[in-house]
Amino acid sequence: MLNQLNKKLISSLIMNNAKVLDIGCGNGELLYHLEKTKSINGQGIEISPKGVKESVSKGLSVIQGDADIDLVNFPDNTFDVVILSHTLQATHKPREVLIEMLRIGKKCIISIPNFGYWKYRIQMLFFGIMPITRTLSEPWYSTQNIHLCTIKDFINMCESLNVSINEAFRNTTYSIKKINKPNSYMNNLLSIEGIFVLSNNIN
Amino acid sequence: MGTTGPSSINEQENVQYGMKFPIFTIKDMVNLQLALIDSLEIDQLFSVVGGSMGGMQALEWASSYPERVYSAIPIATSYRHSAQNIAFHEVGRQAIMNDPNWQQGNYYNKEVKPRHGLSVARMIAHITYLSEGAFQEKFGRDMQSKVLSWGFDADFQVESYLRHQGISFVDRFDANSYLYITRAMDYFDLSHSYDGDLSAAFKNTKCKIMIVSFTSDWLFPSSESLAIVKALNKTAADVSFIEVASDKGHDSFLLEVKDFYEILSGFISGAARKKGI
Repeated sequence: MLNQLNKKLISSLIMNNAKVLDIGCGNGELLYHLEKTKSINGQGIEISPKGVKESVSKGLSVIQGDADIDLVNFPDNTFDVVILSHTLQATHKPREVLIEMLRIGKKCIISIPNFGYWKYRIQMLFFGIMPITRTLSEPWYSTQNIHLCTIKDFINMCESLNVSINEAFRNTTYSIKKINKPNSYMNNLLSIEGIFVLSNNIN
Repeated sequence: MGTTGPSSINEQENVQYGMKFPIFTIKDMVNLQLALIDSLEIDQLFSVVGGSMGGMQALEWASSYPERVYSAIPIATSYRHSAQNIAFHEVGRQAIMNDPNWQQGNYYNKEVKPRHGLSVARMIAHITYLSEGAFQEKFGRDMQSKVLSWGFDADFQVESYLRHQGISFVDRFDANSYLYITRAMDYFDLSHSYDGDLSAAFKNTKCKIMIVSFTSDWLFPSSESLAIVKALNKTAADVSFIEVASDKGHDSFLLEVKDFYEILSGFISGAARKKGI
């Protein structure tokens, strides 16, 4: 689910000893990696009991909770970094989740599967079916991904919320490249994933 | 049971304390444990683990003596006893105190003890420790014999089971202790000293806390645990929380629930690694 490229990039964006919240931390793989390599002080939120169990068994601090509901419990600026990796598309209210993240974290790293990727477009265009790939592997009736979007959609949402994107990256499945032109048609077409770094303006 | 209680001898009067024993609280229990580790010259406990009333003690430790505990695991518990829980305790206490053999608690040197009262109290409590599903699965409407008594004997296995639970408890538990201990739980409210603000109770805690609840526990439901998690999140404390799936009710924390064991051992070994043990 979480490929090595993504993990490497996120890791490079995090300073040593940072206080980090990973929302939708799954089995805790990323947090565990960051604790080992960056000595972070990590906290996770995960909705599935199986994920929480696996995370806690790794020695991580993880609460069973829901991104849509439980972020309100944290005070402003609690974390140096808040990570939302491949989770935004599974939330009920992505905009509200984003706003909450920016409130509780000084820096936010968000990665999303890019629904504008050419392989998805081809499945829609030529086969007329909801795309199924290795990244989005569940059929439409059982997927948790209820709010899929494209890189372009995400950038547009940030604009509408007056949130500035500090840095943006795209995953071509072979490498991760920096996005220099946010509105590039090709970036949106050729990337399987978008990764964004946002920061809040509350001090 | 425990250290000193109503059945202990009051040395000044050379007779059991009975109801002259002072009311004590969960915090008193923790203070006693603190005195013990002080006398053993232990600076910090690696982990305080407890279920139900033990969970209240674990919470009290993390709140009152955060520097003396590295980690705490409150299980199937709450930061304060709910109205329903107090109500169940009250019925149990009334059963004891209305047993004529209770004699205002002065039964120690008498021939008869409030066996019926304590036994009924235990029967009521035992129902609260299980779940509807657990009762149904264990007993259903199974009978003791093939014919009904058409009276009030224990026709159903569940009746016979409860009676057995009640009677066997009487031999190992003091009725007055039951009154005092249930009262200690009723009086427990960690947020009370902080004007109801539970997060203030954990303001200084650096302790690693893992809270565990069980899906079928209706005596200390997950919502109670979640309230603690919420309060801990407000202080940005190091907290884990998991609701373990189990159909065995409140008693789950005493039983071998596979996921529960794995989580406990995972958390404890993780904490040990971090502590460098």
